[in-house]
Amino acid sequence: MFNYRVLAILKRELRERVLSKSFIITTLSLPLIMALVLGLQYFMMTMEGDKDVHLIVACESSDVITKIEKVFNTRSWIESGDYTVSYQHATREDFSKLLEENKEKILDRKLTGVIFVPESALKDKKIELYAEGTKNITLERKLSSVMNEVFMDHYFKDRGFSAEDLQFTRQDVELSTYKITKGEMERETGGNLVLTYLFTFLLYISLLMMGTWIMQSVLEEKANRICEVILSSVDSRDLMMGKIFGSSFTGLLQMIIWLTPVMVVIGMKLPILPVGMLFQVDPLLMVYYMFNFLLGLITFVGLFAAVGAIFNNAQEAQGGVTPIMMLIIIPFLITMSLITNPINVVAGVSSMLPFASIIVMPARMTLTTVPVWQIILSIVVNIATILVIIPIAGKIYRVGILRTGKKPSYKEVLKWLKEA
Amino acid sequence: MNALEVKNLSKSFGNIEAVKNVSFAVPEGSIFGLIGRNGAGKTTTIRMMMNIFEPDSGEVVLRGTRVGQEFRNNVGYLPEERGLYKKMKIIDLLMFFAEIKGKKGREIKDQALSYLEKFSLLDRKSAKIEDLSKGNQQKVQFIATILHEPDFIILDEPFTGLDPINTNILKEIILQLKEKGKVIILSTHLMDFAERMCDHIAMINKGEIIMCGAMSELKKKHGKNNVTVSFEGDVSFVESLSYVEKVTHFGNSISVKMADEKDAQKLLAEMTSRQIVVNHFSTNEISLQELFVNHAGSEEVAAEKEVQYV
Repeated sequence: MFNYRVLAILKRELRERVLSKSFIITTLSLPLIMALVLGLQYFMMTMEGDKDVHLIVACESSDVITKIEKVFNTRSWIESGDYTVSYQHATREDFSKLLEENKEKILDRKLTGVIFVPESALKDKKIELYAEGTKNITLERKLSSVMNEVFMDHYFKDRGFSAEDLQFTRQDVELSTYKITKGEMERETGGNLVLTYLFTFLLYISLLMMGTWIMQSVLEEKANRICEVILSSVDSRDLMMGKIFGSSFTGLLQMIIWLTPVMVVIGMKLPILPVGMLFQVDPLLMVYYMFNFLLGLITFVGLFAAVGAIFNNAQEAQGGVTPIMMLIIIPFLITMSLITNPINVVAGVSSMLPFASIIVMPARMTLTTVPVWQIILSIVVNIATILVIIPIAGKIYRVGILRTGKKPSYKEVLKWLKEA
Repeated sequence: MNALEVKNLSKSFGNIEAVKNVSFAVPEGSIFGLIGRNGAGKTTTIRMMMNIFEPDSGEVVLRGTRVGQEFRNNVGYLPEERGLYKKMKIIDLLMFFAEIKGKKGREIKDQALSYLEKFSLLDRKSAKIEDLSKGNQQKVQFIATILHEPDFIILDEPFTGLDPINTNILKEIILQLKEKGKVIILSTHLMDFAERMCDHIAMINKGEIIMCGAMSELKKKHGKNNVTVSFEGDVSFVESLSYVEKVTHFGNSISVKMADEKDAQKLLAEMTSRQIVVNHFSTNEISLQELFVNHAGSEEVAAEKEVQYV
């Protein structure tokens, strides 16, 4: 299969690709962009509206107001000075006036908001927040927690409960999840979910990128007629093989570059990982993941190469490549649904179907325990797909690459299959 | 002895018969011209010889055996539609072309550099193809064609796009290659070059061979009763002369088909008497250009489908 001609083409493809600016830029920038997005999200979550917050709490009941102040003062964010709160007693009418007086301040952002705690809140826990932007999740969460404590303590006061009882009732339910496997039970902390997201996203990006690259490269060879020179020395089969493996190995190399830092971080349990999340990656799963990725590359890169050979330029090819892109995009969407419910019939079935299996199966394997027979079936299906698809793509490639002139119809392409 | 024989090659694309039953033989150590108009079937014939197209019928025999991968490695092919990888460096590209022909890059590097020197491209060996002028790209393509030292060299319209100086360099190299015993097949529609360089020709028209053989023999055969004159003055009267059958004009020269060989002297006398300056006058000679126009130029002649092998 790998004669010197295929090797020469493979070598050229690898060198031209891997040393190209676009490869270096995309390979390095993707992790940077991802880190940046994650970092930005983290930054927004922690910083947004969580510093320089000034509040006025107005309460109808004067004995509750001291209690409110007391509970607020137990919080670290009051202590750190990020939040400043002033407390006052006010009836409904007083509050209306207070609000009117402070309206300008709120709009000028000198004051974050005004909170009104009516007498009735002691029974129904309903309070009011008046602010410029009312959907401030961090602020809401903090307020709810403080006020809940105040109301609980007030409600259960003098009813014979101990501090311990109150602590218990105040506390939320905490759900720990465990993944059932044949072997030891594993504590589920959301880490695998993050990994699934990451793997699926990288797989998706890489397949599309390598596919588009080989298509452009075939189109270029067609457009500048170099294919004729090459085909006078090598078979179209050798040329296609060299190109497919060149692109596939480039993809594999890129994936290794992307995943190595992730694996190092997880393996060494470096403290930059999100707190409370456990990441576990079975080395065997990684081997499967890379092998499955290679099969996927060969399949899709072959298809994209054939599409490149059919058309004369990128615009024409755009239409032809859409169905193949769908073969990547639909499984990607199915995988995203898998994340909300790992035991999902559509995902289960599609993880054993040609094309879809390449993207869905690794995600299923990271999230749940997949029976061995299904994994084997999916590998067999993927290899069979290659055995069927590559000769067909090869025939289209062989005829298409020397064809110029008007854009061929699907009927004509079918005729090529008989011709070749 | 024949180095290469093309036997009854045919190829159709849909309803169009591009090449019909084409046969010719290329002798050892010769420059062989495949001559025809644009679209006559030259390139399709060559593509079948190169195994780029599978022929519908017929075969190509190389020194007695059917051609295969071995032939492909032993042939340098310069296609009419040139193509290079625009982003590659010259030297890398030359290595790549030699490697797909089964050569090791290291072995061929010195050779590549010496060819680059011959074409004054040595100082640009690390330049990218896209940064070269069209003429220089042509030169690189030619080097890529012959770098692996093939015994057979097929050149499809090799002179297009070259300036006179580079055309001469190329011609010189082709002649040197011939001296080394290489077999060269030159496909062209430029009759001048074919006439000066080729020992044998096959003339192809509408997918069929209409004439084939040694250049000297063909010219002798078809040049009978033919006179070629280079002149200064007005020669329009020649056509009205009773012993003249046909006149073909080439600007400063004409080719005249006489009824009888003996009438040549009459024509010369007539011309001098009319104050025409005759610079060159030769009998029994026909240019390839004329031979070509006579046989492939007019539809009627082509329709006769009379194949002439000499």
